[in-house]
Formats: sequence, C-alpha cells, structure tokens
Amino acid sequence: MNAPTPTQTRQRSYFVDNVQFPFCKGCGHTQVLRRLDEALSALNTPAEQIALVTDIGCIGLADGLFRDIHTVHTTHGRSTAFATGIGLADRVLAGKDLRVVVLIGDGGAMIGLQHLVHAAMLNVPMTVLICNNFVYGMTGGQGSGLTPERFITATTPDGNITPPADLCAILTGSNAQFVARTTTSDTNFPDIMRRAFASPGFAAVEILELCTEYAVPKNELTGKMLAGIAEQNGWALGVLRENASRAPFHVRYAEAVRTSATPKVREHGFSSAPHAHQLAGPVSIVLAGSAGERVQSSAAALCEAAIASGLYVTQKNDNPVTQGSGFSLSEVWISPEPIQYTGIERPDIVVAASEAGLRELTSRGTMASVSDDTVFVVDESLAVSMRTRKLLPLSLRKSLGPKDAALGGLLAACHEKNVLPDETLALIARYRMGDRAKVCEGMVFSV
Amino acid sequence: MVAEGAIRAGCRFFAGYPITPATGIFKAMIDALPARGGLALSAPDEISAIAECIGAAMRGYKAMTATSGPGWALMIESVQYALMTETPLVIALVQRLGPSTGGATQGAQGDLLLAEHATSGGYTIPMLAPSNARECADLTEIAFAWAERLRTPVVVLSDKEVGMTTERVDFTDGSSSPETYAVGTNGNNGTYYFNRPGDIPLFTAVGGATRVIATGSAHDKRGKLQKNSPETIDVLRHLEEKIRLRAHELEIVVEDIQPEARTLVISYGVTSRAASSAVRLARDSGLNVSHLSVKSLFPLPYAALDRALKGVESVIVPEENLTGQYRRIIAPYIGNRVLRGINKIGNMISPSEILRAIRVTP
Repeated sequence: MNAPTPTQTRQRSYFVDNVQFPFCKGCGHTQVLRRLDEALSALNTPAEQIALVTDIGCIGLADGLFRDIHTVHTTHGRSTAFATGIGLADRVLAGKDLRVVVLIGDGGAMIGLQHLVHAAMLNVPMTVLICNNFVYGMTGGQGSGLTPERFITATTPDGNITPPADLCAILTGSNAQFVARTTTSDTNFPDIMRRAFASPGFAAVEILELCTEYAVPKNELTGKMLAGIAEQNGWALGVLRENASRAPFHVRYAEAVRTSATPKVREHGFSSAPHAHQLAGPVSIVLAGSAGERVQSSAAALCEAAIASGLYVTQKNDNPVTQGSGFSLSEVWISPEPIQYTGIERPDIVVAASEAGLRELTSRGTMASVSDDTVFVVDESLAVSMRTRKLLPLSLRKSLGPKDAALGGLLAACHEKNVLPDETLALIARYRMGDRAKVCEGMVFSV
Repeated sequence: MVAEGAIRAGCRFFAGYPITPATGIFKAMIDALPARGGLALSAPDEISAIAECIGAAMRGYKAMTATSGPGWALMIESVQYALMTETPLVIALVQRLGPSTGGATQGAQGDLLLAEHATSGGYTIPMLAPSNARECADLTEIAFAWAERLRTPVVVLSDKEVGMTTERVDFTDGSSSPETYAVGTNGNNGTYYFNRPGDIPLFTAVGGATRVIATGSAHDKRGKLQKNSPETIDVLRHLEEKIRLRAHELEIVVEDIQPEARTLVISYGVTSRAASSAVRLARDSGLNVSHLSVKSLFPLPYAALDRALKGVESVIVPEENLTGQYRRIIAPYIGNRVLRGINKIGNMISPSEILRAIRVTP
C-alpha cells in the first residue's frame, strides 16, 4: 500500500522539526518512536491518512511529537477499542484505507486486553505497538501483568512472585494476523516493524524496553539483557504469527452483506383485510399459558388484526428469565382511542390456557383483580372457582392441542366480549392454524 | 423504534452488547444496517461498544449504542471521553430495576441521576425521555441533531415499559439524513477552536483533510495537552457553556395547562402516560389540574417550567424511583410551592395513584 513512486517526494519524517522527546534519558519509548517514524516514512503514506491512537501513560505523550498526522489520545487501555471504531468506520463506511497505529504500554495492554483480543479476532487493519517496559512508569513504577518474575517494582518490593502473561500468545490465540515480539536492542527490530506495517490486517508488536527511571535502578537490567528476560519468562522473540491469507474484517463483511438474503419486511398474514370494528371503549386482556405454546405470538396476531381494523393496541409480554420454560404471558389493551397507561388493574378478559399460566395469574395478583364482569376463559382441566359470572371452561388443550390452546381461548373470550367481529376472529384463526381452524371456529363461535 | 429514529437520522454505525431491556435496539440495528451500507457490531462488552462508537463518530459517522443500567455503569468513562473530546454520540439507555443486576425485565426510572451526573465536574449531558414508541423514534432523531449541533454525547432515556411494549405507531419511512457529521474546518486554529466560550468548534473528522488532535486530557483549543493554563480552563468552561447558552432552544415538553389550575403534575417517560390518564380523570370529576410532560429532561426546560408554574400552588412529580430524582432536580426552581412526589418501584405508577394525590392536594 502506498509504495513510493518516482513522482512522489519521499516523506523524510513525521516528527515535528527539532523534535524533543519528553522521556527520561535512556527510556525505550524514544527508540520505539524513532523506529515507528522510520517505518511510516518508508511507506510514504500522506500524513492526513495516518491516525495515531495513543493510550494513557508515558507513551501517550507521543501525540505531540508528530506533525500533520491525526492524533487521538484516549483513555487507559481503551485505545484499541477507539481505534477499532475509527478503522471500521473508515474501511466499511467510508471505503478508505486510513492507516491506524496504536501505541499502548504494558499496563494499558492488560487493562484493555479485551479490546486487543476483539480487534485481533475481527482482524481490523491497524498496527498496535505494545511498549512493555515492565512497569507503570507514569504513576511511580508499579508492577503490571507483564512484569517479569522476581522483578522488583514499587508494588513488588521483594520481587514479583507472579509469572507474567504471554501477551503475544493471547493475541496469537485470538487469531491475530501478525504477532511479533522484539526488544529495543534487537537488530531485527526495524525489519519486524516493516513486516508489521506490511500486514493488511491486525498486527501487534510487543516491544520489550527499558524504563530507566523505575525498572533499571531496582533491577539488574540493561538493554542487552532484554532478550534474556524474554527467555527466562518463556516469551518467544521474533515474528510469531504471520497469516497473510486471512482476510481483514471489511473484506469478509462486504462479502457477507453481498451474499445475504434481502431483508424481509414482516407483514401480517391475513388472507383479507379485517372487517370494520365496532368497539366502543378500551378492553384489557391478560392471556396466560406455558412457554413454547404460542401465547405471546397469539396475542400479537390479535393485536395486528386490531390495528388493521383501525384500533389502537398495546402489548406487553412476560416470562421467566429462562425464556423457554415456565409460564408465558401477554397483557393487551385494545382501544378505539390512543392508549396511555398500559397497566391492567381490572382485566376485562383473562385466559388461562395451562397450569403454569394459571399459577402465574395467581402469583401476580390477576386472579384477585377479576371482577363480576370479567370474561374468564380457562382450560377445562384447570380447577378454578371465580367470582365472575362469566367463567367459561373450554376443552382448549384436548380439542385444539397445547400449541393452539391459548389462541382458542383468546378468540373465544374476544367473541364473548365482542372485541372484534366474528369474521375477523375467523381470519385470525385461519392465519394462525390453517386447516385446523375449523375445530377452533366451531368451539369459539358456539360459546 | 429507537433504531428507526436512528436510521432516519442517518446513523449507520452501531456497536452493542446484549442486555435486557435494550437488546431489541441492538437486534433491530443488526437487521437493518447491513442492507443500508452500515455496520452493526457485536462488541465483547459495553466498554468496547461505546468506545467503538466514539471511534466511528470521530471518523465522521453518526453512531449509537444502547444499553441498560449495568451497561451504562461500564460506559461512563467513555461517555466522559466523548464529552471531553466534543465527539457527537447518541446512547439509548433503557432503564430497568436496579441497583446492580436488579430486575432485568422490570421497568424503572432509577437511572436519571446516574446518567445525568456521569461526569467528573458535573457537566450537563443532554437527555431526552420518550413516553411511547413513536417518541422513541422522534426523540432519537432529535438526539442525533443535538449531538451534532452541540458536539457532545446525548442520552435517550427510556425504560423497559416504553422500550418493550409493542404498540400501534403511525409511521412512514421518512427523511434520508446524511450519514456523516457536517465537516467544517477550523483552519490552523485547531480541533477545539472557539471564539467565545459558548461557540461550538466546527467538527473535523479523523482521516479527513484537516488534521485532528483529539484528547481526553485537559487541553487547549488546539488539542494540546495543558496543565491548568488559562486557555485550558476556558476550554473546560466552554464544554458547559455551549450547552447552557442554548438551553432555551432545546426545550421539548408537552404542555397541558389549565390557567385556573392550582395543581401541576410534572412527569416524564413512561409515567407521563399514567399522568395523562390521571389528569383526564381529574378533570372529568371537575378538578382543575395542569400537566407538564417533559421530553427534554436536560438541560432543564426552564422557560416551560416557568410557564407551567404560573398560578400553581402545588406540584406533584410521579417517578418510578424511591428518592424522587427529577423532583430533586426541579426543587430549587419551584419557589415556595408545595412539592410532592409519588414514588414507587416494582410496578408502574397507575393513574389512580396520581389521581389520589391530585385529590388530596390542598
């Protein structure tokens, strides 16, 4: 990408003129940024097509050292997630190829591990440089999850007793396209940077480096010893993963969108338009049954028919958090006027299509709120003694089967209460049950 | 319907994490965006979700995420970042019963203060509260307009009862708004340049022709890290000032005022529905009562509040929380009038409960 051509002037450096690094003497960050600048310069990418996203910590001071490129200084550990958003919007929505570079320390890499893993899994094009100097430098040299064993830090004064994580192994395990580990004193460092930047997807380079302020004074440590520390902690060096064949996210996404079915617009399945309603006032319905027995979808079918008849409706569903077991319940209002309060204090219609449904009606207080005028339809198998004058035990489960019991009960109650004309109720039955609607109609309209 | 509003507004980037009762918005965007050239991303957690949205917004694209109380708690760090970096963003916060995991399938109005007071420094987070499905769409569309105009995160605050209740909506697919934020250029003046503190810097996108220097750290108008310089303090003042100055232009309320009424009901969100019913019942029985249903919770609609309070001696604020969160916010503005709350959790406040309060009002 953006290979220099004879007509282009080669970008010498992206640093500001006479760049002054704000880091301590001997700090590895200076070397990392020099290698970064060289790698970018070699690619000759126009400055406005580079976004440098930095994390919290000393390495986050890098923003101010660059000229002309976009810089985004973020929150601790989240740099990769912001970069993911920038990168995906750029590739997927804008169709451009902004070069996204992330600078993050060992502390940030561990607090934001999830974001690194996510970006690696998605394979979002970006180059992440993880500057591992084994300590939190800006806050006084505390140990991180990438601090070597036996290392002395402010928070491990007697030596770190916890072996550090292998970040590169985590990223390799997350299917990162390119993963490498190097040190600031490694002669291969520039070559690894070049290969990381040549990777078309997610590329991460962990760079072991010195914090001269906190790590060096307390531990026997020089730049030449970094490779040895890697070995002692089981950290492999070099390019650890280079999977050129793995397509970046935006390529796979474009392919998936191209081959996916056109989005479906759901329409009601009535064979003809419902008849005009004659409902004078609002009606409230509580329909209760068992999970998996089409309780909520039956209520929805009634609501759709009511809307198609020119009525206003609200529907609220309830079920245990497990979704697929226990009761299933819908609360419905149908009204010729817009509906405000959606709660039901005194239901006009209650339907109990199963034992689990009846139990729920009792436990939520619906049974206690039933009045003289409530139409109460129950499956005949359920023992109910109510004060309503309109208790209708029907052979819902036996005659219609458990999957249509709720709908049958609902239609019978609506027939009894004149909620919708019988022709409309018959349309709902045919829409939901097909040929089996005959039995249902026979039962409903004989109520 | 929040998703419908977002799509109307031009939102083409969504990143979400499943959480009842906000999952419906996530799913709607997953279904809707690919065919529209957009992207709805399944994030591995709420922090990733909002950070990815902020990244997309910085790149210039209208982005939204949706969550509930527990997810919002995780997002707060990044909400502050969006506010500090003047990044336009919309967050739909569908409330459920708290604290902690609380009740996933129970409605509540308990996140209002947690949402509004999410920043160190107490900066105003503009907030809109729909009461029904139609308003979910309309106010989300407005939220995007506010986010763009003010360059700040905007919250659409609904709850389980508003978000998960299916109802008839008369709605046609409408406007096709641009998918990107209007880009200006502050020239060499810098990413956060303003002249007067109330002015809003022109938006520039990361990756665009004008260089962006964005930072969540205290900064000058160019975006350079600064520690307490007078210009940095100016920038921090500006973050509030740009909203405060425009508060009167951002008022959205439904005023149902009876000039002779001595009692005023102030409501928002789902409770506005019960309040409307209660006010109607009260009037049917011969009582005079006014009703102010607030849609733009923050910035506070001062002018509408003033108008509604004229001649009123008693104010009732029904809310599905125990401590009267909005009541406490408006308390300083109602003078020596009697202020009472109707507070309840676990179930919606019913019209009869509000009616009772109206009846016993002195």
